[in-house]
Amino acid sequence: MASSIPVSVPADAVALAAAEPHPRGRAMPWTARVGVAFVLLLAVAGAAAPWLAPYDPTRQALRGRLGRPTLAAADGKSHLLGTDHLGRDVLSRVIYGARVSLVVGLSAVVVGGLLGSALGIGAGFRPGWIDSTIMTVADAQLAFPFILLAIGIIAVLGPSFPTLIVVIGLSGWVSYARILRSQVLVLRSREFVESIHALGGSVARVVLRHIVPNVLSTIVVIATLELARAIVLEATLSFLGLGIQPPTPSWGGMVFEGREYLDSAWWISTSPGVVLMLTSIVVSRTGDWLRDVLDPTLRGE
Amino acid sequence: MRGLLGFFGTRLVRAVVAVWLVSTVVFVVMRLSGDPVPLLLPPDAPHSEILRVRKDLGLDRPIGVQYAVFLGNTLRGDFGRSIHFREPAVTVVRGYLPASLELGLTAFALAVVAAVPIGLLSAVRRNTALDHAAMGFALIGQSAPTFFIGILFILIVSLGLGLLPTGGRGDWRHLVLPALTLGAFAMASIARLTRSAVLEVLRADYIRTARAKGLAERLVVAKHTLKNAALPIVTITGLQFGTLLGGAVVTETVFAWPGIGRLAVQSIYNRDYPVVQCTVFLSALMFIAINLAIDVVYGFLDPRIRPR
Amino acid sequence: MAQITRREWLTGAAALGAAAALPAVGPAAAQTTQKRELVVAQGGDISKFDPHFSTASNDIRISFNIFDNLTSRHPDGKLYPGLATEWKLQGQTTWAFKLRQGVKFHNGDPFTSADAKASLERTYDPNAKTMVATVYTTVDRIEAPDPLTLLIHTKKPDPLLPARLGFYGGQIVPKNYLASVGADAFNARPVGTGPVRFVSWVKDDRLVLEASPDYWGGRIDVDRVVFRSIPETAPRIASLLKGEVDVITQLPPDHYERVNSGPTQVRGALYAGLYVLGVNSKRPPLDNPLVKQALSLAIDRELIVKELWRGRGIIPSSPIAKGDNHWDASLPPLPYNASEARERLKKSGYKGEEVVIETTVGYTANDKPMSEAIVAMWRDIGVNAKVEVVEYSVRAQKNRDKSFKGMWWSDPTSTLGDPDGMMWRLLGPGGPQDYWRHARWDELGDKARFSVDEKFRAEAYKEMTKIFLEHNPWIIVIQPYEDYGVQRYVDWVPNPNQQFEVRRFNFRMRRT
Repeated sequence: MASSIPVSVPADAVALAAAEPHPRGRAMPWTARVGVAFVLLLAVAGAAAPWLAPYDPTRQALRGRLGRPTLAAADGKSHLLGTDHLGRDVLSRVIYGARVSLVVGLSAVVVGGLLGSALGIGAGFRPGWIDSTIMTVADAQLAFPFILLAIGIIAVLGPSFPTLIVVIGLSGWVSYARILRSQVLVLRSREFVESIHALGGSVARVVLRHIVPNVLSTIVVIATLELARAIVLEATLSFLGLGIQPPTPSWGGMVFEGREYLDSAWWISTSPGVVLMLTSIVVSRTGDWLRDVLDPTLRGE
Repeated sequence: MRGLLGFFGTRLVRAVVAVWLVSTVVFVVMRLSGDPVPLLLPPDAPHSEILRVRKDLGLDRPIGVQYAVFLGNTLRGDFGRSIHFREPAVTVVRGYLPASLELGLTAFALAVVAAVPIGLLSAVRRNTALDHAAMGFALIGQSAPTFFIGILFILIVSLGLGLLPTGGRGDWRHLVLPALTLGAFAMASIARLTRSAVLEVLRADYIRTARAKGLAERLVVAKHTLKNAALPIVTITGLQFGTLLGGAVVTETVFAWPGIGRLAVQSIYNRDYPVVQCTVFLSALMFIAINLAIDVVYGFLDPRIRPR
Repeated sequence: MAQITRREWLTGAAALGAAAALPAVGPAAAQTTQKRELVVAQGGDISKFDPHFSTASNDIRISFNIFDNLTSRHPDGKLYPGLATEWKLQGQTTWAFKLRQGVKFHNGDPFTSADAKASLERTYDPNAKTMVATVYTTVDRIEAPDPLTLLIHTKKPDPLLPARLGFYGGQIVPKNYLASVGADAFNARPVGTGPVRFVSWVKDDRLVLEASPDYWGGRIDVDRVVFRSIPETAPRIASLLKGEVDVITQLPPDHYERVNSGPTQVRGALYAGLYVLGVNSKRPPLDNPLVKQALSLAIDRELIVKELWRGRGIIPSSPIAKGDNHWDASLPPLPYNASEARERLKKSGYKGEEVVIETTVGYTANDKPMSEAIVAMWRDIGVNAKVEVVEYSVRAQKNRDKSFKGMWWSDPTSTLGDPDGMMWRLLGPGGPQDYWRHARWDELGDKARFSVDEKFRAEAYKEMTKIFLEHNPWIIVIQPYEDYGVQRYVDWVPNPNQQFEVRRFNFRMRRT
């Protein structure tokens, strides 16, 4: 196994190899069940936020700012996770924040997945200058902290949903490209692909009919792991002040806003932070499990 | 030997191209990102003043000319003068480098020193409480956002318990929390990989044979396992060193650590192009050098991977 | 070295804490120190030493201590002698300064009128390429007839010239040293006449200065002054409460109570300026005075001052800051009246156009929270308002291009203690916030600038205020306190205009 570890793969891809091996086909472990349930819960919470959230997440009450978590505040209102520096209900904002995380995270994964898969399959299918160009660009992107480029681009374009999605998507394409390229290289050499090719099947047809179905499960696995990374990157950018515009609540942005009050109103930062942390752990754990079930070969890649 | 040289030659060429690509992309993004001049002048400076300062800084020339000048200077190791500090950018970056090296190396050392034994122990004591706890923490370390790990440390250890300073650089006490935060991801990854690598080796036939021969368990682990699991561990260890660079940007910002990660972010906000270029160039160079070094180590450790 | 000092200090802090806990001992009596070092934590590091190359507040806190000006504005807002001992107007356009005798630069060079002349001329010398080239636009020429006399000729009568000499651009640098080592070496190893001299600087970490032993104003009360950069609020406060530092700048009002108890206290100065929303009055609907009146009336300033600022500010009554020349005590605070605001909005014919506040985060204290609060108030009266967050450098660029979409935060400083140095400097024709013109207002502002008749000036500013409040080229929000957290043993009064004075007249440590 060691002999085939490519030397400059992204950390994510190596993390693929780092987990404990599960025997194939075993029933879903309880951790994975909890994980899937959590993600579903989050999606539901985000979708049904207007009905679930106790308050309007942007409604301010300056007279009740920095309120402690309580079931019955002085004005008879309950704020389970307290209020922030503008008197907004933290719980409601955490619930609404799931929307930003999931929308940006999922869209970015789609962007990065489409781009990375296309380039990876292309590189695998077309050795020569196309392949080496793509892989050199991949090398270049891995060669320095992407977050600096993200900050630069967002500084140019200004923070908005589309910008964030594209930037975060761009940050993730390399994982797909590298792994798919190596899979396609293997597939291409197989007889059935070669023979179809020889029989005059068009490239597009070969790719769509024979390559894509074969690598789909790999894409799903990478996408799940990438989702966790995308959610964390979105939160990190928001934390650096480059996220979604106010008053739309986002978890990273809330942690940022609460930083000034860490020692007096800790709940502003910690509530969204803990939810973010749980989300990230659970999503990546689910990715680990998916990999073991769908594509155990990845582990040894 | 020619094959080996060719292999490294290709990699070197690709590395150079990568550094050039990175520098160019950063050049373009930074130039698009805005004008540093309004940040230097008092808010009531008239337009003529702004034009004059732009000219002094060479920012009035066509972007193509600026790019040519930039490339030429970069080749000579000259990144220009910091707009913010009025000093050569290289001097500025050199001033911030020791802090980053101190933090990065400490984090890395902590990660390796803690992670390998933890991974090993977890594998040997598989499915015990110790294993579950260690792997639970590893999961958190690998998945939790760096900035929030930092915030939690500050909240609990510094503000809550009052044990360590909240930020800044000073004696060893200032180093602990940033190093743990920065090293968390690497530590978790290395621990998990060590565990699975050791598990894999433990299952292998020759280990079973060794056991069957009645060798003591401890000796089996010590003698065979680590040796055979060393390769993947070395690889991931090297790779994690690369991820430290990215983590440093966030960690140094959270802990106000005066290193090049924070300098880079501040310089982007200040539109201090020369300093941004210099930090990015340096980190790309370091990352690529580390990768090349791993390739070399690998090539010698394991002749099988040498390309046909 | 620093480590030993800190340890020493920690034991001291423990003793102080114990003393403060005893109810019988008054806090003032207990708060003394043997420290010979003053540690100041700022919200950001400096960028340069050369005083003519920066006007940033983090930089001038240091450069005003390494260097002296000819005149000196003390925390009481008045102008005192600095390197000049006296000055008077000769005729209409010549200011004569008598300079202080026996002053030496840190490198031993004597200070003479030649240094003063060279320093001031340097600011607007095109070859020196300074960042303060516009401070002395009223100056025609400078003469140094003898080593202790300086004559400054202005193009028109300039009543505020001595005030201009007291702020940025007025720091006096050593002519010969600068000429011999060059600007870069001077920036790296600055030499001035001020109460502290440069020792060392590790960027974003610490800057060390030491007392100049033979300072003309008296050796300062400590041996060393250390500036540290602690950008985040919570750690900055924690370092004060733990006794690691003696003074912190930029203390947000939410932390007033906590810092103002035990061994630490808050020292505040009413800011010599205002926090306002700049208005792009060229852009509909903000070109309509009725809309702007409605926006101003809809802001519940009392709520903002009381809750977001915890009472650490006052509601302004006019575009002239309290404490400035010609501030009118008879004017009432700006009113809040939501129903009247709705009324005027209706009368204005407002059709739901978007009104945007482009705010930075933390460029001015409370900028983003105030933006969000004010936008909510505007939405309440039916204005389609929203907040957009921009980065500081984007704000600077928009400021330069005059391309703000609607409103933005501005914290005009009264550089001269006079409306001329604030509203006229910024809003006057060709000024950096020139988005609105009014013939009568312009005429009055121009006449007041070049008049040495204070009665005329008073009348002019009264009328300008009236016009201003009808048209609201700024929507004025608050005049806040600039708060600092200090250890109780530090006896020091902050300066309203962000200068940081450690000179003898203003600073000492309480010792047993």
